[in-house]
Amino acid sequence: MIFSKKKITTEYTMEQCVKCGAKTKRKFNDGDVLFAEISKCNLCDGLTKIEKIFGETIEE
Amino acid sequence: MNFTNFDFDQLFSMGDDSNPLMMLVWILPIILFVFYGQQIQLFVTSREIKKGIQKLDSFRIESRTELINYVKNNLKAKNDPVKKIDKFLEYFTIMPVDMDPNGIVDKVRHTVRSREDFTRIHVKTLSPEMSHLELTRVQTLLEIASSLQMIYKIINHMFLTAKKQNNYPLILPLQMILPFIMEQAEAMKDAIPAFQKGQPVGDGIGPMVVGKMMLDCKKEIVALETSLSKIDYEDRHLFLLKAEGPGSTVGRPADGLEKIVEENQIDAIIMIDAALKMEGEDSASVAQGFGAAIGGIGTERFQIEAIATSRNIPVFSIVIKQSVKEAITLMTKEIADTADDVRLQVYEMIRENSDKGQSIVIIGVGNTSGVPQ
Repeated sequence: MIFSKKKITTEYTMEQCVKCGAKTKRKFNDGDVLFAEISKCNLCDGLTKIEKIFGETIEE
Repeated sequence: MNFTNFDFDQLFSMGDDSNPLMMLVWILPIILFVFYGQQIQLFVTSREIKKGIQKLDSFRIESRTELINYVKNNLKAKNDPVKKIDKFLEYFTIMPVDMDPNGIVDKVRHTVRSREDFTRIHVKTLSPEMSHLELTRVQTLLEIASSLQMIYKIINHMFLTAKKQNNYPLILPLQMILPFIMEQAEAMKDAIPAFQKGQPVGDGIGPMVVGKMMLDCKKEIVALETSLSKIDYEDRHLFLLKAEGPGSTVGRPADGLEKIVEENQIDAIIMIDAALKMEGEDSASVAQGFGAAIGGIGTERFQIEAIATSRNIPVFSIVIKQSVKEAITLMTKEIADTADDVRLQVYEMIRENSDKGQSIVIIGVGNTSGVPQ
């Protein structure tokens, strides 16, 4: 369509610290799967788990 | 201005002094539309349908190319996989005769499962070292590519038949169903990246909810590609069932349920699944209801209903509404955000519909791509 806007979906991974509950949103990396333990929390010494993987669509 | 004294003869050039040329301007289109109306409509409609078919053709080619590239880049294929993939794309399934419907579900299940089992074995021959995770991804991509190929072939056949016969009524049903077909085909085309990367799709919300409940619990394989965990919650025994993730599969929840009820006294079944929303309904809205919430060809639902009926087990369900596209493409934020709320609703449903000491089966229905347990 001439007037339809192009939609772009960006993939995100939401990590949550199992200890303090702090959430971090970052771009999706290949190999990310839900509930995987990924890294150390920036705020405490707890581990972060992948809580959600989702896409957000914006119109250009 | 006076609007009451129109001269209709003058207005429509019907008076004695009318120009014969003007008469022709009126009469010719009438004659043209009377005798050639259908052909004109056929011409106009054909142009629209042709555009749709060109799109379907591009989807078909794109999905095939993506599949070939995925196999070439990610798997150590022994030989050139193109010939084999083209052969897989042409696989067809002949559904059993239903003139006598007695036993039809078993026949359909046998046919569909035979197809699944043999496709799995044949896909494995592309690269014997292929992991189970890769195998499920290739199988799903193959399913998408072959579905798009089949859609293209059927629509093109209907169009060419109507054109060949120069028959306008034949093209009408095609014109009516094409927007729905295009919506489904576009959704399938857009689903390819999510399955290639092993991301969760909207349909995976059921396994996502149950998968989180299964975390840090002992798991066992209870049926093909189907995982089971047993936990206790407020003095009730819970049997958590979902497809074995993070591969792209829906598992065989009915077989899993059958095995559970053979060995245990079950008092309730709760199913969590994605459901197609109606037009006007909000995406990611959650609803509770009764009956087996499971899609597909119908054999799994039949089996679950038969088990529940024979043992007098009530079946409750929670559905998360979404569109066709949302169900098979990367999970949207709105759907992912419902997971915690749905889990709370499951616990509430358990408390409301069972007593202490009872056993409940919780089934997370859907494709478990990117969702382990």
